Amino acid sequence: MKKTVLLPIIAAAIPFLAAGCAGTNAHYVQTGDQHNVVTIGAINIQDYIQAANEMTGKLLASGALDRVANPPAVLAISRIVNNTAQQIDTDLLTKKIRVAVLDSGKALTTTTMGLGGTAEDPMAKGLQQENEFKNDVKATRTPDFTLSGKIIQLAVKAGNTSQSTYSFQLSLTDAKSGLAVWEGEKEITKQGTRSSVGF
Amino acid sequence: MKTRIFLPLVAAGFTAGLLAVSGCKTTVNSVENAQKEGQRQMVSDSRVITDGSLAKKVSIVGVNQSMTPGGFLKVQVELLNKTRSYQAFNYRFEWFDANGMQMDSLSPAVIPSTIEGKESKFISAVAPTAACKDFRLKLVEN
Repeated sequence: MKKTVLLPIIAAAIPFLAAGCAGTNAHYVQTGDQHNVVTIGAINIQDYIQAANEMTGKLLASGALDRVANPPAVLAISRIVNNTAQQIDTDLLTKKIRVAVLDSGKALTTTTMGLGGTAEDPMAKGLQQENEFKNDVKATRTPDFTLSGKIIQLAVKAGNTSQSTYSFQLSLTDAKSGLAVWEGEKEITKQGTRSSVGF
Repeated sequence: MKTRIFLPLVAAGFTAGLLAVSGCKTTVNSVENAQKEGQRQMVSDSRVITDGSLAKKVSIVGVNQSMTPGGFLKVQVELLNKTRSYQAFNYRFEWFDANGMQMDSLSPAVIPSTIEGKESKFISAVAPTAACKDFRLKLVEN
């Protein structure tokens, strides 16, 4: 009697078990969409895109970049502190913001000035200095604003459920006054018992 | 013999059902000022519904827009969860210039969002450039 009940149940479960074990062949997905892998213990590409998009939108909407005597404003990228448990390249966030700000026409980013005197583009800096020397003029425009920030991770666990909150914080500082003229924060929280595909 | 096997199954199913019902049914009470100071500039919209299931759950109440101080188009969409259950969905804004050409400068940001039962919620976005004149919002069920 037991067999008659259990056999159909087992038979029905086999296709689901097989599908669960089968992997998927490598294929392309659109970066940042709902088919991307989601992990709790790491910042995924869709998190960077979401944070950059939202903060750029707020920065542009604030009008802070418009308050310069000689538009478009010049922006220098300062330190982005990584306070997460993982090694990350903060350009994944800042590059997206730079691209969006440049496309908006509201600001230009300098590549010849960097933190500690290091230029992002040493060749451009050399050519710029050479040009200044030849023409005996100071052509360099100092940045109107600097962009600094921090990425923080807050991880907690309850039973089998893990949760990570990633806080992306940015400050736009007026280089003349040293005052923060705009600040943005975007928090992304992910929760689950295991990684998955999709939001 | 059959009863001995089915009774625990029925009991387990009933318990799971109860848990599911109690865990997902949360609705929202709200209060707001009756005499509004702000006037929303509503936009007449055209809608394409291909996911009837999502439209029945998370419906679009209205769309309004404004301009930011920097001259960027800002769009706000009011959504209403018509069910009594918590719903998860994804959304994405697309932007178009005066010639109808798409203007996304970054990878499209698909934003995950949630809405409580019977809750009204606003989602908004700012155009990436001042050249953006039109928009499209895409909603996908999670």
